[in-house]
Amino acid sequence: MRRFFTLAWLSYKSRQSIFRLDEFLCLETIYPLLTLIFYCVLASYSYNTDNLTRWVVGNSFLLCVNTCIFTLGSTFMAERAYGCIRSLVAAPEGKLLIILHKGLFTCITAVVTVTFGFFAGSLLFQVNFSQINLLLFFTAVIVAMFAAAGFGLFIGIFGLITDQMHFVLNFISYILMIFCGANFPISQLPIAGRLISRLIPLTRSIEAVNMLFSGVIIEKFVMLLLQEAGIGAGYYFLSWLLIKGIEKTARRKGTLEVF
Amino acid sequence: MKELNVIVSTALLQIKSSLARSMFRFCLLANPVVNTVLLYEMFVNSQREDFLSYVVLGAGLMALWSCICFSSAGDINRERYNGTLSLIYMAPAGFRTIIAGKVAGNTILSMITFLLSFATTKILFDVRMEVAHPIYLLTAFICTIGSFSVISVFLAYLLTLSRKTQLYMNCIEIPVILVCGFVFPADILPVFLRPVSYVLSPTWAVKLLRLSVSDTFNIREYYLTLLILVGVTGLYILLGHFLAVVIERQVRIAATLEVN
Repeated sequence: MRRFFTLAWLSYKSRQSIFRLDEFLCLETIYPLLTLIFYCVLASYSYNTDNLTRWVVGNSFLLCVNTCIFTLGSTFMAERAYGCIRSLVAAPEGKLLIILHKGLFTCITAVVTVTFGFFAGSLLFQVNFSQINLLLFFTAVIVAMFAAAGFGLFIGIFGLITDQMHFVLNFISYILMIFCGANFPISQLPIAGRLISRLIPLTRSIEAVNMLFSGVIIEKFVMLLLQEAGIGAGYYFLSWLLIKGIEKTARRKGTLEVF
Repeated sequence: MKELNVIVSTALLQIKSSLARSMFRFCLLANPVVNTVLLYEMFVNSQREDFLSYVVLGAGLMALWSCICFSSAGDINRERYNGTLSLIYMAPAGFRTIIAGKVAGNTILSMITFLLSFATTKILFDVRMEVAHPIYLLTAFICTIGSFSVISVFLAYLLTLSRKTQLYMNCIEIPVILVCGFVFPADILPVFLRPVSYVLSPTWAVKLLRLSVSDTFNIREYYLTLLILVGVTGLYILLGHFLAVVIERQVRIAATLEVN
């Protein structure tokens, strides 16, 4: 267990150590906050409304994209660039553990970023959060970040089979933005779009947190979070299956570090 | 004439090498499409009669700016990473000419974003669009491209000074889209932010584009905006020139072109 946490910390540190504290804060707080402000101002203009609760909630959850999708998604791309893929595959450690330790601190950072974004956005756009149950809110954030990190890892594994990861990761970030219901109601989407929105993380947790503002039905809230956690677990499992499959193929063909 | 040849050949090379990068392909081809979908869905129930101008121009401009942030601004870093920065810096053709060629290549290619945004709106949402004043729109479009090219050169020079280009190019994308009013009028921003938006040339370029497709076309306002855009862009050219001289001097004295 101790080794797991050490590896998780080292993995996180290796990604962040290039930045000074002010740069780290800029990337993790100011930039996400500006993104949230942009989409909220856009919503205020396009919907001609001052009540921006829905968009503050939705866009604060989307702030995890930077960490969960871009950081985790580029994990294997980075390992390949640094020539560590062979060591990872040859290591006696289970591949699921390798996946999990890369997600731990990223997940924690994402929880902090989303929470910060939500409260800062609420203060900026006069969203009254004093009436909501904060325990339920934090539970929803943690479950959402668990699911988003799983999704990020799943996408990141494609870094083992394609060199087009910048395209893939950016495209996925827009898929989340369009289909998770953060900026416009899912009901506006065609049937295929609604199906996609049910298969990606964040949709249900955003719906659950929005419920906190409009009168929460606890059974429905719990059900939504359970579904979200299930989706997250599904992506972790798929990641594990995918990495096993790719590893096997790469060993057989001797193409671990080439495409 | 020699300089023009260098610019043309650098621009052609830049187009080829930019297209080979997956990030640029996303900014150029996918970004206008997904942004159009997102903006259309956000504006479709807005009951604003001119909402299509925000969708098409907004998505095109956002993609154009992304291309600039992740290509023109990042090119210096790429040259540094590939170990060719000092070579192009010392090349007899001149660093400024080469940078101008790179920016020209990227900007010309990035004009596709507007076409893609327009095509997406037409194909996916079957919306009919008419341009009442095509000549004014074309003029605004040419001025926008010119203005964005100048700001790209400015950014490229500025980012020569740092190795953390990737951080900065990520951090300038959204703030400029927000402050310059790419998808909503800059006038709705809080008063304290307006001076920032007024000194940025994209604000005037966006306003000019929007005025040229407006139903209530006001020729006086159009020419005034055009004049301001030309003035601000001229100021950027002067500042860029000054910056280039300062940076060149600093780089030669400290010898930190590749290690700063």
